[in-house]
Amino acid sequence: MSVIFTPFLFQSAMQAITPILLASLAGVLCGRVGVFNLALEGQMLVGAFAAIVGSYFTHSALGGVAAAMAGAVAFSLVLAYGATVFRGDPVVIGIGMNLLASGLTAYLLRGTFGVSGAFSDPGIVGLGRIAIPPLIGVPVLGWAFGRQSALTWVAWALTALVSVVLFKTPVGLRLRGVGEEPDAAETLGVDIARYRVVTVLVAGALTGLAGAQLSLGAVSVFAEDMSAGRGWIAVVAVMLGRNNPLYVAAACVLFGFADALSINLQSQGLPNQLTDISPYLATLAALVISHRRRTRAPRPPAEVAAASASPAPVATGGSTLDADRGSRFRAD
Amino acid sequence: MPEIEALGIVKRYGGLVANDGVDLSVDRGEIHGVMGENGAGKTTLMSVLFGLQAPDAGEIRLRGAAVRFRSPLDAMAAGMGMVHQSFKLFASLNVWENIVYGAEPTRGPFIDRRAARAQVAALAERYRLAVDPDAVVGDLSVGVRQRVEILKALYRDARVLILDEPTAVLTPQEGDALFGVLRRLAAGGRTVLLVTHKLHEALAITDRVTILRDGRTVASLRTAETNPREIIRAMTGRNVNLNVEKGPPHVGAPRLTAVDLIIAGAAARPAVDRVSLSVRAGEIVGIAGVAGNGQNELVEALVGLRRPDGGRVEICGVDVKAANVAAHRAAGLAYIPEDRAAVGSALPASAADNLAMGFQRAAPLARGPFVIPAAFAERARALIRRYAIRIPSERVAVGTLSGGNLQKVVVARELSHEAPVLIAEQPTRGLDIGATETIHERLMAERDSGRAVLLVSAELSEILALSDRVLVMFEGRILADLPQERADEESVGLLMAGRAQEAA
Amino acid sequence: MNGRARWTATSPRLRPPPVLLAILFSTLVGGALVLVSGHNPLRAYAEIVEGSLSLDSLPDTLNWATPLVGMTLVAAIPLRGGMLNLGGDGQLVIGGLIGALLPLVLPGPGALVSIAALAAAAFGAGLYATLAAWGEARHGVPMLISSLLLSYPAVGVTSYLARFPFRDGATGLPQTAMVPTEARLHALSGALSAGSLLIAAIAVAAVFVDRRTVAGYELRMRGKNPRFAGYGGVRLERQAIGTMFASGAIAGLVGAIVVLGSQFRFIDGALLTPAYTWSGLMAALLVRGEPAGAILAGLFFAALQTGGFAMQRETSVPRVLTLVLQAIVILFLAMRQGVGRRSP
Repeated sequence: MSVIFTPFLFQSAMQAITPILLASLAGVLCGRVGVFNLALEGQMLVGAFAAIVGSYFTHSALGGVAAAMAGAVAFSLVLAYGATVFRGDPVVIGIGMNLLASGLTAYLLRGTFGVSGAFSDPGIVGLGRIAIPPLIGVPVLGWAFGRQSALTWVAWALTALVSVVLFKTPVGLRLRGVGEEPDAAETLGVDIARYRVVTVLVAGALTGLAGAQLSLGAVSVFAEDMSAGRGWIAVVAVMLGRNNPLYVAAACVLFGFADALSINLQSQGLPNQLTDISPYLATLAALVISHRRRTRAPRPPAEVAAASASPAPVATGGSTLDADRGSRFRAD
Repeated sequence: MPEIEALGIVKRYGGLVANDGVDLSVDRGEIHGVMGENGAGKTTLMSVLFGLQAPDAGEIRLRGAAVRFRSPLDAMAAGMGMVHQSFKLFASLNVWENIVYGAEPTRGPFIDRRAARAQVAALAERYRLAVDPDAVVGDLSVGVRQRVEILKALYRDARVLILDEPTAVLTPQEGDALFGVLRRLAAGGRTVLLVTHKLHEALAITDRVTILRDGRTVASLRTAETNPREIIRAMTGRNVNLNVEKGPPHVGAPRLTAVDLIIAGAAARPAVDRVSLSVRAGEIVGIAGVAGNGQNELVEALVGLRRPDGGRVEICGVDVKAANVAAHRAAGLAYIPEDRAAVGSALPASAADNLAMGFQRAAPLARGPFVIPAAFAERARALIRRYAIRIPSERVAVGTLSGGNLQKVVVARELSHEAPVLIAEQPTRGLDIGATETIHERLMAERDSGRAVLLVSAELSEILALSDRVLVMFEGRILADLPQERADEESVGLLMAGRAQEAA
Repeated sequence: MNGRARWTATSPRLRPPPVLLAILFSTLVGGALVLVSGHNPLRAYAEIVEGSLSLDSLPDTLNWATPLVGMTLVAAIPLRGGMLNLGGDGQLVIGGLIGALLPLVLPGPGALVSIAALAAAAFGAGLYATLAAWGEARHGVPMLISSLLLSYPAVGVTSYLARFPFRDGATGLPQTAMVPTEARLHALSGALSAGSLLIAAIAVAAVFVDRRTVAGYELRMRGKNPRFAGYGGVRLERQAIGTMFASGAIAGLVGAIVVLGSQFRFIDGALLTPAYTWSGLMAALLVRGEPAGAILAGLFFAALQTGGFAMQRETSVPRVLTLVLQAIVILFLAMRQGVGRRSP
């Protein structure tokens, strides 16, 4: 047991959690304002690529992070306007954005650096670890907290910030209202489109940070499709945490550990093809367990629930996973 | 001078003229009724008055001065307040959050919770609208939610309060309480605009009424000087007999039976609490009750959309064990759902496809696993003719149809099943008087030809007019089973509010 | 609001079909992208067209079309009913591995072995796909998420199996042993092969089922309004499971066809690199799942792909450009469908 739960495991878990947590916070913001964000995977990828480009040309990590945020925000304009002003189906837009990001970053990789597959260069400055001497001495946890990249601390700080803003400030209250009942918010004078667009763009900046952590965090490299499903795990974390930043963070911790565990098991000799699967299996298990706990009261046959949860690009559009609304008394 | 005036308001939506030169004049301290059929333009006019829509032409004057509202914010700043028919509330937020939303008291960058709660409590006290500021709105009954809506307007110091069909969701007793509140507000110098299609309501509480028809003002009457017939004639343009002709029922064997049905609810109390009922061939049984007392769950169990946690359902003598719609329908059930657009039809699909649902597995529409498109079309054409559905062809998507026509599609389809049992939920909601008449006549015709009809409706007048027996549902239980002679508005209203003893 | 009302008031006949507009838009954006990276867009596009539709390259395009149209159907069939199968990759490799391994152990005449391998591949992949439907029905996990999440374990396990237990020791590469010649699918003439005929037959069958069967009607109604379908008596759970089975089975079939028809062994990663699944998904989204349109879209995207290869050869513009073009088409359509939704 102690072979598996090494201090190194905690450190690599914290590293693994960071991009997922940042992307999840982005997902929380979008979900709270009523825009279902499935594009986290693509947004992270764009951020990762922009980070490498920025760091390469400015020879600074800060330049990389700034470029990552800028790039991800620009990319998020598609979702911001597509799902609000243009009333497109967020599910289709999200999937399309993921595919666009994959192709676009691969294309620009060749165009900018002339290579394909992966790119690394001494000119790229990565995010160094911030060593906090007093913490390093602490056994076990010292590894976890003593040496982390700056973005890891930023991620946790942002988790607290997003919580406070959502639940204690007027902006947060109005944002939550826009997501829950846009009609009601509108009649009380809140500009729904503006709130949604701005929130999606702010969330985009967070995904940029996530991408920067991916490509500049540990080893400074960009590889095609390097987001590798983390964006989807973030989507699940948001679902599990029911759009509450603190619960979502807890879900991310779970997944981060599963991720780190798989790396650890790898070093024990298990083939990586199998260990790589563990975060996804953990995710699926978590979803099933969460559903079981939530449905203590018997519900209508899964038929109707399933039917209303699957996306219908023709008929509805708009958030399709918030089907637990139930019916309210509503006149024509 | 009048408190608020609308002069020549014109509003078009695409090719449809919703308001075609509407005039309105309301004095301060008045309770003014705005009446008309569905589609007459009342809601559009109110949207314009509240700044939700900008008129294409015409003027709004407040206390003599012309105003232009670019948004509800402008309207609220000018002293307008609105309580919508479907409440604009945030179910997951609590009462004070809902009330101060958009105009929150702050302390630095944060919401000043204490000030907000205090202000809300003070308002509630002052206007005698009892609410708990910390209660979560989603848990509240409809009557209390309405109070929250009114407090929202009062928090913004609304001088003119618009209420859109406020008693649609209340028991008669709650409606009386509401009227008390409105009278107090009017006496205190505020102005009340009451949008309603209910005659007795308008006659009970308003000082004056303005009647709209086809987007125009056709009458402005002093309530004390008019009568129901005059109002109806103005609303519809003709004389309408509100009373449905009803012969005595020829009752046969029970066709739909529920025995000790139990359905668990989200809270500790079950949504349906040992309900037993029986509907016999040739009778209409109406279930009266304020929405949210278990009617939805009960109907779902009867139809097969939900598996009950206890008890059983029998259709035409068959104990329907499997909880699926196909089995219930096969046993002899047809169902007109509450929500014709979201459940009763597929809006992007053609009329032919919509009218075929439920029949697609048998002749003449299908042969084995294959369907016969020509048969779909033929059947649709026949039904369109028989029910006078206004649609260019059976290939057109039903999403283009008006509410009344869409309901005709649903009714046509369900009745053509010729099932022994028919369950109809809110069958005339949102329909104008003409369409309502038609549907009522159909239901009576079904009952006379021996069908067992279960009618669930929040419109008490509809239940009382059509039913041979009235069941009252409250908190998941059937409180009473009244034959038509003993069902009157007062006693049923008391039962709907749970006051069984007083009603007896 | 007024602008939109005016737009919808124009006669539908005058408005260009949204798909064409989308392609035009994407061509423009793609052209800008090519310009920015220092190449000539006109030349690039010319190479795409020539590289896909000229007589020399038509066989290549048809070759690519077989798996691509297959994966388009994989996505289109559930989409027709409003469901999303994002697990095509996983189902593809399961089918491919079964198709590669079964002929190694099954005795008998070559033709029968091929058929058995194809059938088993379809069945296994189909079964795996129903896990996602079952997950939604019994455990409330949305099919969108579970189908995608399930593909990772499938890819991982098949990759492991190909690299270790079933590895072909002779070559030292991560692949299984060669499938015996008798069991392979043979080319018939030119680009036509048994595999492509099979996919073509399935495509025709899909269109027929959609338009002329009860199951097709019920699936279409579910796609238009699932609550309506359920209320009308359609058994939604069964329909979901059956639809996902069909979808996964076709994916498995595609995998086996590629293995038995061209690669003759399961090579780790080879089924995934061409991105059949995602291109197929995009083609299906283009037509919202309508089968006949899906076939055309699949052919179109196949042409784009082979054209892209040619473009990269001749002009050194990276061929991933074609994926970018496909994505832009989808995004454009998604937004236009929203804008146009208000019109009757």
